[in-house]
Amino acid sequence: MKITAKQYGEALFESVSDASGGKVKEVVKNFCRVLKANNQVSQLGKIIGQFEQIWNKKNNITKAEIISALKLAPETEKVIGRYLVKTANGGEVKLSKQIDKNILGGVIIKHGDRILDESLRTRLAEFKNAIGR
Amino acid sequence: MNKTKDFIVEQLKEQISGFKAEAGEKTFGRVTEVGDGIARVSGLSDAMMSEMLEFKIAGGSAFGVVLNLEEDSVGAIILGDASSIKEGDEVIALKRILEVPVGDELVGRVVNPLGKALDGKGDLKTKKSYPVEKIAPGVIARESVKQPVQTGIKAIDAMIPIGRGQRELIIGDRQIGKTAIAIDTIINQKGQRMKCIYVAIGQKESKVASIVARLEKFGAMKYTTVVMAGASDPAPLLYIAPYAGCAMAEYFLDKGEDVLIIYDDLSKHAVSYREVSLLLRRPPGREAFPGDVFYLHSRLLERACKLNKDYGGGSITALPLIETQAGDVSAYIPTNVISITDGQIYLESDLFYKGNRPAINAGLSVSRVGNKAQIKAMKKVAGRMRLEAAQYRELEAFAQFGSDLDKETREKLERGRRMIEVLKQDQYVPMPVGQQVIIFFALISGFLDNVPVEKVRDFEASLLEYVQDVNSDLIKEIEKTGELTEAEEKKLQKIIKDYKDTLDYLESDKVKSS
Repeated sequence: MKITAKQYGEALFESVSDASGGKVKEVVKNFCRVLKANNQVSQLGKIIGQFEQIWNKKNNITKAEIISALKLAPETEKVIGRYLVKTANGGEVKLSKQIDKNILGGVIIKHGDRILDESLRTRLAEFKNAIGR
Repeated sequence: MNKTKDFIVEQLKEQISGFKAEAGEKTFGRVTEVGDGIARVSGLSDAMMSEMLEFKIAGGSAFGVVLNLEEDSVGAIILGDASSIKEGDEVIALKRILEVPVGDELVGRVVNPLGKALDGKGDLKTKKSYPVEKIAPGVIARESVKQPVQTGIKAIDAMIPIGRGQRELIIGDRQIGKTAIAIDTIINQKGQRMKCIYVAIGQKESKVASIVARLEKFGAMKYTTVVMAGASDPAPLLYIAPYAGCAMAEYFLDKGEDVLIIYDDLSKHAVSYREVSLLLRRPPGREAFPGDVFYLHSRLLERACKLNKDYGGGSITALPLIETQAGDVSAYIPTNVISITDGQIYLESDLFYKGNRPAINAGLSVSRVGNKAQIKAMKKVAGRMRLEAAQYRELEAFAQFGSDLDKETREKLERGRRMIEVLKQDQYVPMPVGQQVIIFFALISGFLDNVPVEKVRDFEASLLEYVQDVNSDLIKEIEKTGELTEAEEKKLQKIIKDYKDTLDYLESDKVKSS
């Protein structure tokens, strides 16, 4: 039976949360040995992705990303921050910021698997569609 | 000049003020796997069944439809070109069901299942779009089938009549004239207040091109739309083609018009759905088709309907085609579709190679509702024809054993042979119903009994010409009133007798009084 990346991720998560303090390093080392024995080292990228997802879910962490054309003013950032905290339902929000000149203006906010696309580029594309009819 | 400029500006202003940007959170996911027209997407936690997806790709977007909902991923079919979608691409759920453009603009055009023009006559400027999947009208909206679809094919109009709103399957092996029947039917719809939609599923594009050229030549493209998903198109496009065609038909239905839709053919449609299903890792069943192939076709054909006056009174008549392998009607897909439709026209290769074209097997072909829709005149003559055809088939098998037959039997056999001859018809020459009534009348009244079998077709053609010359109102009258009165019968008998007096090839030894 093939072991999926998700199952590896779950196993790793459980053993890591069982282990305390300095033992985590040991667990990770053992996990890598198991992977090697099973010839699954190539799956490592996927497993890390899965592990991160499980970790975030269990610890109630949402990953959020703000993409803007220019550096945002501190006030705007605060407003967005509040919005994200509200949507996260009391959980922790891990925020990353990115600057992308290609979106021309506005912001794109991603959190969890939700997206709020308020970029000028998307607006223009929608407008073009509406006019083109 | 200035005025038009102002007008344009005004129009633009209107459009701009009417444009509402929709801000709002959407769900997004990422492509984890892609290939063969199928994509697997992670994320999209609240994606819905048959929801449309937008794949963000370099320089634009591609569209897909959700077909599988799994624990932590979504299986989707990609519509159109899938080659530029990569692993890791962003996917946005659009919160709406797949729609195709519909409207009067589509008439006379060749489009793909997404409503893009394929005929090089410029973009379609449609204003409306209809969902591809729609629940069929219910009992309240419907009414029984009561108007005829004149196919112009003698064998069908007489023995297997089709009504508006019926679903009649055309089934047979490859290359024995299934498409020919469908195309002849379209050609004969000229002036019958009927819109036609021809859905080509997995056909060679050269074949579709020649069909379109044919239809154009006979002036049939004026009321016809061709929806084409060719053999080189990916399976998802083939899969949605009939539904898209049906959505286009429903636009005319809602306007209260009658529509004829031809699905050519549903075997290839089932195969494309099998391909999609297997790629989505749905478990295979009989002949490797997924468990829901029956529903695949039943939900499509159930959308054919005849609506009552309160709902506009329109109709959709569906003619699905099924290709059998070596005449095997007991395969999975043929039995399914036979059980869904209101009858079938069964074409047989033996008959085709014997020269009986159209190669309709009158014994196995049935129409379960259409005979209610025949015009009265046709009912009068066709009822007798059906009976005589059945008797002939029985006797024909029996007569092979011995040559010593009584007079009555011999006469029936002779009549039957002439009937077979009358039912032969060339391609692209559909016959108006009035003319059909006349020739059938001549047959059942025994006027053909002393015409040599090999002369029957000549007789038929020149008789119709003669009737046209002598009394051109007669045919018109029959077509107008739909009836064949006693007086008209008498008139017709006299005309046929007069005509026969001019012939020199009649078999004199068995002159019959009629």
